[in-house]
Amino acid sequence: MRWVWFHKLGSPKWFFFQSKSWVLPLLGLGSIGLIVGLVWGLAFAPADYQQGDTFRIIYIHVPAAMLAQSCYFALGAAGFVYLVWQMKMAPIFIKAIAPIGAVMALIALVTGAIWGKPTWGTWWIWDARLTSVLVLFFLYMGIIALQSAFDDVMLANKATAVVCVVGLINLPIIKYSVVWWNTLHQGATFSLAEKPAMSAEMWLPLLVSVVGFYLFIAGLVLWRMQSEILQREHRSSWVKKEVMDRGL
Amino acid sequence: MTYSSFLQSEFLILWRRKQDVLNALLFFILVVALFPIGVDPSPAFLAPAAGGIIWCAAVLSILMAIEGAFKEDYLDGSLEQLVTSGLSLPLLMLLKVLALWGCVVVPLLLIMPLLSEMLFLPSTVFWVLILTLLLGSPSLFFIGLIGSALTVSLRQGSMLMMLLILPFYFPVIIFATSAVHAAQAGLSYSGSLAMLLAMSLLSLVVSPVMTAIAVKASVN
Repeated sequence: MRWVWFHKLGSPKWFFFQSKSWVLPLLGLGSIGLIVGLVWGLAFAPADYQQGDTFRIIYIHVPAAMLAQSCYFALGAAGFVYLVWQMKMAPIFIKAIAPIGAVMALIALVTGAIWGKPTWGTWWIWDARLTSVLVLFFLYMGIIALQSAFDDVMLANKATAVVCVVGLINLPIIKYSVVWWNTLHQGATFSLAEKPAMSAEMWLPLLVSVVGFYLFIAGLVLWRMQSEILQREHRSSWVKKEVMDRGL
Repeated sequence: MTYSSFLQSEFLILWRRKQDVLNALLFFILVVALFPIGVDPSPAFLAPAAGGIIWCAAVLSILMAIEGAFKEDYLDGSLEQLVTSGLSLPLLMLLKVLALWGCVVVPLLLIMPLLSEMLFLPSTVFWVLILTLLLGSPSLFFIGLIGSALTVSLRQGSMLMMLLILPFYFPVIIFATSAVHAAQAGLSYSGSLAMLLAMSLLSLVVSPVMTAIAVKASVN
């Protein structure tokens, strides 16, 4: 009996009506978290004693990098769910979250480069973390490209699910191979971990910002999923009724 | 159809269409030739870079060879026959990789002495390079075949397939070239070789199943 909720997830209609009331609160809370975290971090947190004000980009960089990875784990899990249970919602979730993950990886890369210029003196180094985020970005782009290449929805679902699962298996290998490669070639890596330990005034806004990012993205994903459901189920009667009664 | 007749026919097809394998080999040599021409022809640059150059060229040419692996089968309907044959599809995919690997990698290894001489690779390192190719290339084929099966129904699938598959090749290239570099520096390289073998074995487990799923989806 406890698994009923899981099976219900397979129904787009059930999901649509369940998630409808979640989007606005999630987006609202996420926006509040983002605004509070970013304003606090960018304007009020104390400056770093080594990096001065440059460190403040951490309040965007770290949440984006965390989300880029979390989104990929969610993507891989959804791919697995689709391959095993053929659940209808899994490919909708994949389609909704893949571009968001790609944007997050891109934000992490760009903010990292902007941060790297004043602190390391270079826009880019082939550091382990940078390289693995770059690979992650390429994986996302591959999934998006594959999904949009097929006309047949079923085939697109299956194909992306396969790539997501293979990517999930390979992600740790890629990550650790890059770490190993990097440490083999250059002894001292520029690592974020070498930064002095943060004080509470610095990491509290970071925490708020991370939570805000997660909530905002969750709301955004649900929103995107709902419009995808409406599009995919546009022939069914409940969608017609929903659109006629309440509009888009 | 039996497993052995399938393997036989795969080998026969590859033999009759040997121009494809030859093209991949020529492509491999051309990519290798780009580096001395485009970057620096002196032994001082080429000798340390040789392992990386050969591996990058090998990855590209193997991708070229795998890319069309299912195309003919898909167009003439024999892929459907495989799905409905009652034989285990993952096992058939495994045999297909075996045939393809044998027909592409063996010629690649045969021209390797020539190329390593052209790139001034020290003879002590040569055997390490051969070992990395032997241990690492199966995983390239296994992973590549998934991509090939996924994109077989698309008209412009080859570019997409490369885009999808190349990121998965990064770890293999990293471990292979670090084994060659370690051998050149006189360090122990057995760890990298073990990692290559581990990746090949992992993809041996995962890939035939995934390829079978992809083939079934593409045929429908």
